[in-house]
Amino acid sequence: MAHIHLGEGSFPVWALVFWTLLGAGLLSAVIYRVRKGGIKTNQIALAGIGAAASFAIFQLNIPVWGGIHMNLTGLVGILAGPLLGALIALVVNIFSAVLGHGAVGLLGANVLVNATEAVVAYYLFKTLIGMDWDVFPASAGAATIGLSAGAVLMGVIIVVSGVNGSALPRGDLAVAVGGLVGLNLGVAVIEGILTGFIVQFLASVRPDLVGVEERETREETTGVTA
Amino acid sequence: MQRWKQYGGLLGLFGVCLAAGLWGFTATGGALPWAKRSAKTLQRGVKDGGGSLIDLGRGIVVAGPIRKNGLMLEYGVVAGVLVVFGIALYVYVDRYRTVTEDERVTR
Repeated sequence: MAHIHLGEGSFPVWALVFWTLLGAGLLSAVIYRVRKGGIKTNQIALAGIGAAASFAIFQLNIPVWGGIHMNLTGLVGILAGPLLGALIALVVNIFSAVLGHGAVGLLGANVLVNATEAVVAYYLFKTLIGMDWDVFPASAGAATIGLSAGAVLMGVIIVVSGVNGSALPRGDLAVAVGGLVGLNLGVAVIEGILTGFIVQFLASVRPDLVGVEERETREETTGVTA
Repeated sequence: MQRWKQYGGLLGLFGVCLAAGLWGFTATGGALPWAKRSAKTLQRGVKDGGGSLIDLGRGIVVAGPIRKNGLMLEYGVVAGVLVVFGIALYVYVDRYRTVTEDERVTR
C-alpha cells in the first residue's frame, strides 16, 4: 500500500526533477521492451482488469491500522507481469492524482514505488513457483515482500528528498519515515493474504492465467503413472 | 519443497512484518487515517500514540480528496469504465483464444 500522499510542493525542485526523470526512464525501458518483445493478448486483458481493480481499491480506506488503502500492485504484477505492471502503476497514479489522491508532481516517485511492488512480486512469485512452492504461500509471500520493497523505497525517496516545511532534522525525519515504512509492512501482510487467496482461486479455475498450467499438467501426469 | 517449510517461512515473514507494523502504528500516532498520519509524522516526527488497530466504526470510505471535493461521481465513472473495459477485454480475448492459436503474440 506504499503511496506518497504529500501535497504539491512538498519535495524540493531537484528531487522532483530527479524522481520524475527516474520514473520516465523506467517507463521508457518498459515501453522499449514491450515494443521489442511483444505481449500476449491475454495479458492485455488481465492488465485492464488489474488496472480497474487497483484503481478502485486505491481510493478506498479500510478501517484497519487507523484507516489505510490497499494497492493490489502485487497481484497486478503476478497476473500482468512486470512490464504491464509498471504501466498499470502509471495509469492508476495518473487517475488518482487527477482526482486529488497524490500529487501530480510526485507521479514519477509514486510510479517508481508502485512499479517496484509489481516487479518484485512478479519475479519472486516465479522464483518460488520454480522452487515447487504451493500457489498460496508463493503468491502471498511474493506480494508481501513486493509491497515491503515498495514501502522501503518510499521511505528512501522521502528521506533522500527531504520535506519542504518540515522542521525535523534529517535523522529525526528518517526515524519518522521508518515508522511509516513499518506501518506499511503490517498492512502488506493483509494485502499479501488477500493476494494469495485471489491467485490461489485463479490458479484453480484458470491455471493458464497464473502461469502454473505446466506444473498442473506435470502433476496430473505423475499421478496416473502405474 | 516441503509444505511446512513453505508455510513456516510465510508465517515468519508475516510475524516480522506485523511486528514492524505494530511499532509503526503506535510510533506514528495511532488511529488516524493514513494520509493525515503521514503528514503529521513528517512534520512533527514520531510520537507514541494509541487507538484501536481495527475500528469498524470508521467504515470503508473513499479517500478524502475525492470525497470532500465532490468527485464521487467522477471516481465512480472512472472505476466503472475501467471495470467494464477490463471485463470486455477479458471476454474478447477468451473467445479469441478459442478460435486461434494459444500462443498468439501481439506487437
